[in-house]
Amino acid sequence: MDFLSSLSIPSLPILPLLLILPILGAVFCFLIKNDRRHTRHMAILFSGVTLALSLLLLYDISSRGYVESESYAWINTAYLQMNLDIGVDGMSMLMVLLTALLVLMVAIFSDTESERSNSFFALIMATQAGLMGVYLAQDYFLFFIFWEVALIPMFFLIAGWGGPRRHYASMKFLIYTHVASMIMLIGIFMLVITAADGGVLNFSFEAVKAASAAGLFTTTFQVVVFGLLFFGFAVKMPLVPFHTWLPDAHVEAPTAGSVLLAGVMLKMGSYAIIRICLEVLPEGAIAWQTVMIVLALVAILYGAYACIAQKDLKKMVAFSSISHMGFVLLGIATLSGIGIQFAIFQMFAHGLITSVLFMVCGIVGHNTGTRDIPLLGGLAGKMPIFAGFMMFGFLASLGLPGLIGFVAEFGVLMAFFDYLMGIDVLWPIVFALASLMLTAGYFTWAMQRSIFGKETTKIDMSNVHDVNRREGVALGLLCALIALFGIMPWLIMDVLAEMPLVLLGVV
Amino acid sequence: MEYAWLIPVAPLLAFVIVGFFGNKTKEGGGAIALGSVLIAFVLSILVSYEYFVTSGLFDSGEAYAPAPFQWLVFGDYALNFGIYIDSLTCVMLLFSSFISLMIFLYSIGYMKGEGARKRRYYAEIALFLGAMLGLILSSNYLEMFIFWELMGVCSYLLIGFWSYKHPEGDAASEAAASAAKKAFLVTRLGDVCMMAGLFVLLFAFKSLDFTTLFDPAEIANVDSGMIILGSLLLFGGVIGKSAQFPLQDWLPDAMAGPTTVSALIHAATMVKAGVYLVARSYPLFIQSADVMLVVAVIGGVTAFIAATMALNNMSLKRVLAYSTVSQLGLMIMALGAGGYVIAMTAGDYHASLGYTAGVFHMMNHAFFKALLFMCAGSVIHAVASEDLRQMGGLSRKMRITSATMFIGALSIAGFPFFSGFWSKDLVFESVMNPYASGLPAGDIFLFLFALALITAFMTAFYMFRMWYMTFKGKPKEAAEHCHGESPKTMTVPLIILSLFAVGSGFLLFVGLNDIITFSVIGGEFMVGGNGKTAEYLFWHVLENKWTYVSLALSLSGIFLAYLMYSRRIINPARFNMGGRSGLYRFLTARYYFPQLYDQISLKLGYGVAKGVDYVDKNLIDGTVDGISNAISGSSDTMRKMQTGNVRNYAAIVIIGTMVLVAVLFILVRFGGV
Repeated sequence: MDFLSSLSIPSLPILPLLLILPILGAVFCFLIKNDRRHTRHMAILFSGVTLALSLLLLYDISSRGYVESESYAWINTAYLQMNLDIGVDGMSMLMVLLTALLVLMVAIFSDTESERSNSFFALIMATQAGLMGVYLAQDYFLFFIFWEVALIPMFFLIAGWGGPRRHYASMKFLIYTHVASMIMLIGIFMLVITAADGGVLNFSFEAVKAASAAGLFTTTFQVVVFGLLFFGFAVKMPLVPFHTWLPDAHVEAPTAGSVLLAGVMLKMGSYAIIRICLEVLPEGAIAWQTVMIVLALVAILYGAYACIAQKDLKKMVAFSSISHMGFVLLGIATLSGIGIQFAIFQMFAHGLITSVLFMVCGIVGHNTGTRDIPLLGGLAGKMPIFAGFMMFGFLASLGLPGLIGFVAEFGVLMAFFDYLMGIDVLWPIVFALASLMLTAGYFTWAMQRSIFGKETTKIDMSNVHDVNRREGVALGLLCALIALFGIMPWLIMDVLAEMPLVLLGVV
Repeated sequence: MEYAWLIPVAPLLAFVIVGFFGNKTKEGGGAIALGSVLIAFVLSILVSYEYFVTSGLFDSGEAYAPAPFQWLVFGDYALNFGIYIDSLTCVMLLFSSFISLMIFLYSIGYMKGEGARKRRYYAEIALFLGAMLGLILSSNYLEMFIFWELMGVCSYLLIGFWSYKHPEGDAASEAAASAAKKAFLVTRLGDVCMMAGLFVLLFAFKSLDFTTLFDPAEIANVDSGMIILGSLLLFGGVIGKSAQFPLQDWLPDAMAGPTTVSALIHAATMVKAGVYLVARSYPLFIQSADVMLVVAVIGGVTAFIAATMALNNMSLKRVLAYSTVSQLGLMIMALGAGGYVIAMTAGDYHASLGYTAGVFHMMNHAFFKALLFMCAGSVIHAVASEDLRQMGGLSRKMRITSATMFIGALSIAGFPFFSGFWSKDLVFESVMNPYASGLPAGDIFLFLFALALITAFMTAFYMFRMWYMTFKGKPKEAAEHCHGESPKTMTVPLIILSLFAVGSGFLLFVGLNDIITFSVIGGEFMVGGNGKTAEYLFWHVLENKWTYVSLALSLSGIFLAYLMYSRRIINPARFNMGGRSGLYRFLTARYYFPQLYDQISLKLGYGVAKGVDYVDKNLIDGTVDGISNAISGSSDTMRKMQTGNVRNYAAIVIIGTMVLVAVLFILVRFGGV
């Protein structure tokens, strides 16, 4: 620790570096010789440094209530204020860490994209730049730009390296989420214009928040704008019935794309609901609370049921994301401190767990040539290490105590129960609890049919090999983290301790 | 006692070591696992000795509960991790770690032929043992729940151990995978109930620590409805884990795992966790007589129906499995009856008989049922079959196994002075108690008592039916392959355990009478102490007329089995009309419980899932595609734009965004400001 403090961290402009490094990484990856190993190493180097910097930032701000921000003048006129305001608090810190971690894991994991590997890794780094920007932005304009920046490279990843129906899936992904972005943009403009109240148009989060605190947003206004923004974010999360872009995008996307998409991109939606909807539109949130709870329960159950019916392993995992993101919304919708804390916890937990699941799906598809559950069977014989990872991931996802998913689920459900006791209506918790059964059901059923039992004869298993080293490293690290945070959840809770208090001062 | 936390840590550490490096060590990690359980056992003895003798805590009736570690704090709620040691903890620790030691030792011989897969086996049983011991030492319900679920996963993994390649062929492999899933899901249903119970209690008490929840002052502050709801939901977890009606059906299927697993997890330890939870939660459960009545009725019904299912089963291990379910029912029933009496009695209550009976029977049952399973394992190891119809005449080839199994069967049947005799009669008496004392629900307890008596008769019958079919009569096909007695690592544990099956009942008279007790004194709850004297209990059992009734029933059960399956004087086929009898088929079909489970999961699970999938593909996605087709189809220009060239799309999107932004800017710039 002496060593760390002697570095005099504040002198290092970590926040802007977190944005610049991925952009530089993208440029370098794109420019160097098109060689698989070189580009991958380049990507690992850049994402590794980014991760190290985010950890340094975490350490640096741990003594200061996990808040840090910096501002650089950009568009700074008498009429318009759009500055490069960037900063973190507990929630965005966790998302920044998750982004940096998953990009590194993806860079370690991916080696199968032999052709155009420089573009592939450049796009991954560009996605990271967009994601980092979304989580760091403290200015609505900046936020929106990065929101779109994250979208485009992902579109190209799916369209360029995806499966057979990649064109349909990528277009659907792009158009669907883009329409949502446009509606969200209208909401943002309404916020900023109303907040300006005829004065300077200031896009910074702070100015809008101050306007909200000053009571410039009437209840009707809040309800309308909450609806617009919420729709934009709900598509991203995604909530039923705005979810159909997700299974298609996942099924066609390359593994790296799926991991980033489900691991961090979906969280943009829930992050923005907390950051924008709850923070500046508290009355809107109260008005929409029942709708949010219903949507959350629908997503949880609908996603879980859809999983049972899936034959494609990856599609099943995609639907399980919908179900688990429903838990995030459920936590948010309680509008209580613990609900929001555990919603963020669940975002982080789901990011780690779902990455393992998508990597596992990627390995199955690559090594056996199919992800069709009825064709698989008895994989544990030829692929014991793989089976171990798959089982670990599935058990983590179904909320096994001792792993991170349990803490998140337990907390969200406890917050929901707490809320229900407050309004003296208990039965809705039954739906949430039923989903725990369904989740256990589809995961164990999938395991029974794919890795247990006797070895399948429906596909050629003679050349199937187990997890290789780079896959093992990425999966092993993720699994270790899932167990670590499951046993020591306070590591995350400490970061979030102050967060909801700040929020609830407004709500 | 400061080092009590090492007890679960030793096997957990073994799990990590064996899991990663098992194949490089002796017996695929077997030696390490065995070492860890030995450490756990020795530590358990030391901790118990300190608790009972040197610390003086036992004499003052206190639990050892050091300040716990704060695990997760949020809102008003605090969740902790800590240890909680009282008499019940010590008894559980001692018999669980001792039986595990025996079974681990036995495993070395039993799993010899498994090759590299031994590593997985030893890692998983070590993890299981760590979770079980952790559960026993837990200082709050959340900690218990965590270990509870971990045990569930180990059970899941170990039932499915042979799913890849079962010694009995492919069909058995598939059955193992399916049984593992069934066990996991059925117990999960109970676990979800239990989790809901945790929410209720956590909301009511703001903590889940036993020190808080078992504090009469805290209980008085909480709405009694919350405690009743919480207790019933916790009991839902017990129904799942201890295989009580109506979730009992997973346990017989769980026999697809290795026999050592059946002995350890599905007879001696994990399924006892539910009974332990009821005993542990007595201070909460006795807040309502109705809760205790529910507990007793569920136990009684389970004991009866499970015993009937064992009557005509042809699988060696499944007979034992039904018998386990039935005996677990007896324990739960005794605990419920004892709690009912306390709940109906205002004021002080010394040494609940039902509590003593339930816990004592749990301990005895662990010994003789582990013994019976290990004997069964020894037989299966020798003849490579579980089918009773293919055995016979094995007593000449396997003397030790047949003798020790005979002892186990006598013990469970309640033959005088064997361990089962003492505890079973205490169970019966405690169930009779509410009726004898004229309490409101006395008639219900009289009915339960009748069920228990019939169960005792059936138990004696099916145990000896099994024993005679295995060891007496003419050797059938599988028995002819028998290559003699099992190796020493297997027979030595059998002999040791058979000593306990004979003698553990006498422990009641040399101390346990004062250790496994529950009293309410001056409004405070006390575990241990205040027990009835050994003399009192001894004569109490011997002078009670019902003891002789149940004894007569047991002996006639044994005799009937002897006539039917050894002397063959009565032809068993007469009862089942050659398998055409409706009752026979009803029992063979396990009361159609498997079909019921299947139907429920098919309708509520798969059926709805198909519907959701249809809606998703056609209704929701259909609408989305419909809208996009309508838009793109409405104009030729739009159609031309679908060039399929990704770069064009990207350009359009980016330009579109910029135009939109620019328009809004202009509007804002010249319109708004």
